[in-house]
Amino acid sequence: MTYSKILITISRILLPFLLLFGIYIIVNGDISVGGGFQGGVILATSYLMYFFIKGAHPFNITKMLKIDKYLFVSLPLVILIGFITTGHFFTNMFPMDYPYAVRRIYLLILNLLIGAKVAVGFVSLFIIFIEEGNS
Amino acid sequence: MKRIKNFAIALLIIIMMIQILGHINGDNLTYNEASQSYYITKGSQETSSLNLVTGIYLDYRLFDSFFEASILLVVVTGIAFMAIKDEDLL
Repeated sequence: MTYSKILITISRILLPFLLLFGIYIIVNGDISVGGGFQGGVILATSYLMYFFIKGAHPFNITKMLKIDKYLFVSLPLVILIGFITTGHFFTNMFPMDYPYAVRRIYLLILNLLIGAKVAVGFVSLFIIFIEEGNS
Repeated sequence: MKRIKNFAIALLIIIMMIQILGHINGDNLTYNEASQSYYITKGSQETSSLNLVTGIYLDYRLFDSFFEASILLVVVTGIAFMAIKDEDLL
């Protein structure tokens, strides 16, 4: 399957910047606009752009669903660390008198996990639609 | 006869819309501003997040965002189950 030359050229120019922009939005989710979900969707869109360039997709749907499930299981494990250290459910794992740079680690980890999970989920949705269109 | 009936229904709907529009004005509504002022004054130091939206969905409303992630997982696996008829996929 070949797409328009304009689309392929623009995708080739935009793809590295889009990947960088998605990672930037996920990592800076707690100090500027954005967050895990938005950055994950941008990363998934960059995968779609890769499909436009190559005409084929490299990832396997079974593997992506497995990664999605493992990321989802790791989410409550990270959340429950906060219960062990502070004694309250669903809160920051570092107590409130810790410095800002240390407490930020928790937000960073959760943003990365949610971003990876959303990216993997949307990529597997795109893979499903691509394979449905091909068959 | 049918045209008259349709016209009457349309007129009724327009009158109702005008009535509803007349009742929606911001002056009469009173909002509960307790949570808003709490988040603005204390949210940054309690969650240590400069972005207040991230502070809310990763600290105050973490329960909701956890199940939001689970909804995404269920949606993806459900679409995969419906689209690809493969038994050992899930």
